[in-house]
This record gives sequence, structure tokens and C-alpha cells, in this order.
Amino acid sequence: MPFGASIPSPPPTYLVHHLACWFQVSNKCWIHNGLSGFVPAKRRAMVLPLRASFWDSIKSGFLKNNNSTKVVEPPSTFMEEEDPFPQDIVLLEKTQPDGTFEQIIFSSAGDVDVYDVQALCDKVGWPRRPLTKIAASLKNSYLVATLHLIKGIDQKQLIGMARATSDHAFNATIWDVLVDPSYQGQGLGKALVEQLIRVLLQRDIGNITLFADNKVVDFYKNLGFEADPEGIKGMFWYPRY
Amino acid sequence: MQSHGVLLPLRGPSSSLSLSRHLRRQLTLTSFHSSKASTRPRSLLLPVASAAFTVSDGELETRGFRVRRSSDGLDVAALNDVFARVGFPRRDPDRLRRALGHAGGAVVWVEESKRGGGPGKPVAFARATGDGVFNAVVWDVVVEPSLQGMGLGRAVMERLVADLRRSGVSNIALYAEPRVVGFYRPLGFAADPDGIKGMVYSRRNQKKR
Repeated sequence: MPFGASIPSPPPTYLVHHLACWFQVSNKCWIHNGLSGFVPAKRRAMVLPLRASFWDSIKSGFLKNNNSTKVVEPPSTFMEEEDPFPQDIVLLEKTQPDGTFEQIIFSSAGDVDVYDVQALCDKVGWPRRPLTKIAASLKNSYLVATLHLIKGIDQKQLIGMARATSDHAFNATIWDVLVDPSYQGQGLGKALVEQLIRVLLQRDIGNITLFADNKVVDFYKNLGFEADPEGIKGMFWYPRY
Repeated sequence: MQSHGVLLPLRGPSSSLSLSRHLRRQLTLTSFHSSKASTRPRSLLLPVASAAFTVSDGELETRGFRVRRSSDGLDVAALNDVFARVGFPRRDPDRLRRALGHAGGAVVWVEESKRGGGPGKPVAFARATGDGVFNAVVWDVVVEPSLQGMGLGRAVMERLVADLRRSGVSNIALYAEPRVVGFYRPLGFAADPDGIKGMVYSRRNQKKR
């Protein structure tokens, strides 16, 4: 089945990042088919066209050196592209049968309502945390990434979120990757994390880490994460289970 | 209660995150992990204000070491020298200063007192990054090789953990090379608790599709 022809011109407020992909889905995948909107499609793997030269210029996070060698980190190779990456990226577009236009937007702007975050945490079954602490954790995070579902012109719903803490120079740690259960199974979690990684690397944070529950280790492996690299163990202070 | 694609915080849905700090402290006292018993477990479980460190600040002073709790006065070049001597990569000094100055992080280091006063060289160091309320990760724990085995590493770690806990953070994590896992265990750290794995992103692992 040939991939659809052209993507229609995007709404003026967003730059449509032509991902040239379609999402792994059970029966809800849409491939854009010219002007007739979205048509159902077979299940496919997700593809994100990453720019090889940019990725190659970033050093790996772990360096092992013996005492005799001096290694100095190279000056930041920030932004070799001419056009800056947009903060908002359209991951999915769909025109409903009734004509409503829907989009799922990734954003690294971190523009999120703390009540929406709490509602999302409720949906995935997390215990309630004080709103002030949620707000503080977002404010103190280096990067807060969101997935919003936009319906028509005025409906905007938070359906995914992830954040990363960082020392602003070397290391980042990803926490709290959430996708609304109603929207899981469509590859949105993968897209969310991939885009988050892209932004971190774009900002020259070379060491991206996270701590994965047993059940999601494979999910992150498929995204390029390695568990216990070189035998290095994640450890926690007095964990209580 | 876990969903695909959800990265749980360490303490997951079954945690006591929603409890008040006082009640959490009570839980800490009563549900102590005996399998991680160290020589002085209780010092880490007491309310932080009266926490007793293995070696007190005063004892360190008599040995010629001063504990510092901020990056003020830290000689970044000297710290890089210590990094190199323990086998870490040297860091770009500007980026290192940026990492140290970043708000929300905690820094503890030990300064070797200099005869005649003046700023002394760092001989032990640890820093943490986090969101200030829930999570923190400890990085770059180093002790000058010629001064290892004296309790300086433990000294900085105990104080760093105490500082983080005082600010309310109780999810404290780190990445330990195999040969230092044993150093962190008596400090109260456990590896892969409940199967949680530390993971690192590696470009070469990214699957081509």
C-alpha cells in the first residue's frame, strides 16, 4: 500500500514535522491519503528520520579513561543545522468524518497546567501528590515535554507527559513518562520519549539516563537505552516496597 | 497498576508519596530494610536535624579537613585534577561551573585545609541533580586516591543525602560502577530494588528502522 501523497498545508501556528511515518497501532492507525483525509492502514513500525550527521557529532555519555590520558570535553557543537528545531511538533493529524480537525502535538515548551498533570496522574493510577509539589517538580525540571490532543480550534487535552532533570551541562534523567491509558498502544509513548531525547541532545546534554521498572525495560531498550551499561548499577537510597 | 509506557517513579503507585512528611518518617523508622544493615543505620533514620554522621564536622576539622556545602570557593581546575586521578574524564571547566551553579542541585565537598589559611584543594566531592521535591540523582562522587579509605567518601555522601532529605527529597538514586557498589551499600543504597534498572541512552543502540 503506497504511502499517501502530500500532507496538506499546516495550520499557521505549527510547523508540521513531516515524520514520514505511521504509527504502530492495532486498528486505529491513520495514513494520510491525499485530500480524502485519513484511511485505516495496516500495522507498521514507527520511523523517525533522524539526521545522521547531527547524532554522530554527539559524544557518548560514558567515557572510561585511565589516569594517564587527559580528556577534555570538546566545545559545544550546538546547532549545526541552519533552521532551529521547533518547540511544537505535530505527531498525528486527522480529519474526523464530521469534519473536525484533530492533531496530537508534542511540545518541549513545558506549558502545562498543574491540574491537568494531576488529572493525568489520576488516569494512570498514581497516588495523589500535593499540587504544590507537582508544580515545584515541574518548575525545577530542566525539560517538561507534553503531548496534547487538539480538537478543532478550542479543545486542548493533555494526553501525555514526560520530564527530565539535569545539571544543565552533562547529565539528564528522565522521570514520570505518562500516556493517558485511552491513548496508549498507538506509539505515542515512544514518540514522546524519542522527541524528548532529541531535544536533550539538541541542547548538548550528552548523558541521558532513566530508571525503568522491570516491565518497561524492553520499551526503553527499543528506544536505544541500555540497562547496566558496562555493569554499572542503578542504586536507590533505602527503597521501600 | 502499571501501564505500558509508564515510567514509574521509584516508589510507584504503592508508595507513600501522598503521606505527610511526619508519617513518612514514622514509616521509615518502622519499615527499615534489615537486609541493608550497616554499622550505623539509625543515624540515617533519625530526623535530619539530629542526624549523627559517622565522622562529625569537628572531627574532620581536627584532621585538617573542612566540609563545604556549596560550590563557593571550589577550585574547578583542582577538582578536574581529582577527576583525572580517579579515572573520570576531565570536564570542560565552564560546563562544570554551570553544572555546579545550577539551582536545585546539592554539592558537598571536603576541602583540605591549607597552612596559613586560604582556599584549600578539594579532596572529596559529590553533587546531586533533581527537582527538589521528589527525585535526585547523585553524580561524580570522588575522593583523592591518596586519601581514600579514611571515610571522606562516606562523609560527603552522608551529608549529601542528609541535605537532600532535609529538603524533602527521599527518592535518591545514583549509578555505581561494579567496584563501588559495595561502597554505597552501607550508606543505605540498594541496587536494582524490585527489579528497577538504571538505563543509559546510547546512540549506537538505536534501532534502525
